[in-house]
Amino acid sequence: MSLWHIAWSYLWNRKLTTALTVVSVALGVSLISAVLTLRDETQRRFEEEGQAFDIVVGAKGNPLQLVLSTVYFLDAPTGNMDFEIFETLKGHEDVVAAFPIGMGDSYGGYRIIGTTRDLMDFSYGERAPYALASGRYFEAPFEAVVGANVAQDTGLKMGDTFVGTHGLVNSASAEVHDDFPYTVVGILERSGSPNDRGIFCDLQSVWNAHDHGHGEEHGEEGHHHGEEITAALIKLASPALRAEFKDGVNRTSNAMAAVPIWEIQKLYEQLLGTAKLVLLAIGYLVVAISALSILIGLYMAILQRKRDLAIMRALGATRGEIFGAVIIEAFWVSLLGIVLGWFLGASVCAALNSYLVAQIGFHVPPVRLSADLVAAYSAVLLMGLLAGILPAWQAYRTNVARDLAEL
Amino acid sequence: MVELDKVKRKLGPGVTFFCNHFHAAAGSRMALWGPSGCGKSTMLNLISGLLRPDSGVIRIDGKEIQKVSESGLDAYRAERMGFVFQTFNLLAPFTVLQNVILGMRFADVIPEKEWKPRSLAMLERVGLAHRLKSKPGTLSVGERQRVAIARALANNPKLIVADEPTGSLDPKTADAVMTLLLELCEQEQVTLLLVTHDKGIADRLPETFDCSGLVEEATS
Repeated sequence: MSLWHIAWSYLWNRKLTTALTVVSVALGVSLISAVLTLRDETQRRFEEEGQAFDIVVGAKGNPLQLVLSTVYFLDAPTGNMDFEIFETLKGHEDVVAAFPIGMGDSYGGYRIIGTTRDLMDFSYGERAPYALASGRYFEAPFEAVVGANVAQDTGLKMGDTFVGTHGLVNSASAEVHDDFPYTVVGILERSGSPNDRGIFCDLQSVWNAHDHGHGEEHGEEGHHHGEEITAALIKLASPALRAEFKDGVNRTSNAMAAVPIWEIQKLYEQLLGTAKLVLLAIGYLVVAISALSILIGLYMAILQRKRDLAIMRALGATRGEIFGAVIIEAFWVSLLGIVLGWFLGASVCAALNSYLVAQIGFHVPPVRLSADLVAAYSAVLLMGLLAGILPAWQAYRTNVARDLAEL
Repeated sequence: MVELDKVKRKLGPGVTFFCNHFHAAAGSRMALWGPSGCGKSTMLNLISGLLRPDSGVIRIDGKEIQKVSESGLDAYRAERMGFVFQTFNLLAPFTVLQNVILGMRFADVIPEKEWKPRSLAMLERVGLAHRLKSKPGTLSVGERQRVAIARALANNPKLIVADEPTGSLDPKTADAVMTLLLELCEQEQVTLLLVTHDKGIADRLPETFDCSGLVEEATS
């Protein structure tokens, strides 16, 4: 009969207390597991989106704003730039693909993005974010392909028509382009990418809508707006060319180039990095409290078990064996907490996965034993063992004659 | 086998245990008899190394155990002694069989492969072969003491120290347990030192040592 068996028997003998301590450890471990998994996936996805295009070119301003507005459809654009610049860039020898982006209107809070048909065929990595769920791609002005979230939230279906409002936010006072209704010809599959929130059409549609409304209002020639775009998304022959190409654009043209992945990584570290640290800190705090509960649970158990320890000593158990048996109890509780916590974390991620895939197409992967998780679990185990030292020391100091005499 | 010579141990302010001389031969079965508080349990604790004397000599098989280190005493108890307590002192989380095996596991005198067969044999001899998987809490007090006796003897000790082994038992059960203990000690050729305040129990052993007056209280 090993010390492991003896320690296990004592834990089993006080099942409820042991179970509660294990659950408290498991809660901390599950939080850490879920946070680390979500962090890794969020970062991976964010960076994947950022890697889709090597360079974004737009009007001069804040490069992060340019990236957020054109790649993630999140911020206001920095302004417009001449279409000629796009055409020049497209002809550059290092450019393998270039797509214009024209924005200015929205429908139901979702921005209308004018571009070229070939963007719909663009894919990166293993992802095809423009895959159709139904219908076809736009082929003529004012034909629209809507993202999955747009279709879900606005109720737009194949063949429906809608009109855009000026501006990128949902505002009751915004100007409505009544004369230029769009027809839904396609609905994109949910991809978990920003495209779920986009309404895509031919660039000419955006130009036409603005030629009409603003040309008259400002008394300008209609084609003036038609020759401007919001930004250009560019794929280079190699990611190694990013810095050189970016510097070249910034030096030689009236536009600004930004590398999406660089901007996003900066943002991630500044903003989400802090959030991640806070969540991890909470996870470790829960584990520290759990370690305290291991300590208290074992300490109380040792006090109640003084007589048993004295009996073992009388039977010939050495002080080292008694110390070891209590440390092993702490090990069992920590290990069970980690295993249960892993399952809880995996369940949370699975539940989040089914919810987020349905809602926003964000796939949460199963909890995997990454190096970070192994390090976190090891830290939890170490904390548990440290928590066992005080009760083990108490047991080590058993006064056999006195404890046997005390009834 | 067991010898105490001018052994002194302070028990508290003004309370001192003193045994001028005691001797128990190997294989003897002796009652340490006396009223409550007379020092008989202290004497047993000194003999078993659970208490250390302030002065004097405790000799067992010729070895002066008051000179032995703490870890040496652990080994000494494990190798040579078996304990039977008034409150049985079985370990609640373990089955009857495991309780008996534990005695051998900690002592590490008997080879591991013999633990189980030897435990089974001892439990058979005390009439508990049918309760191997029972936990102590489910046994009667008489059965518990029989398990304790089996545990004490399983390790093949030279000396059994029994502290009021019938103190928690009704007279009929006490009688049965005493009969069993004496028979087994005789069969195994084990020295038995049995503490009791009950003259009737003491009279069942061939020898009696009167412990009256071992504890002295200083008068102020």
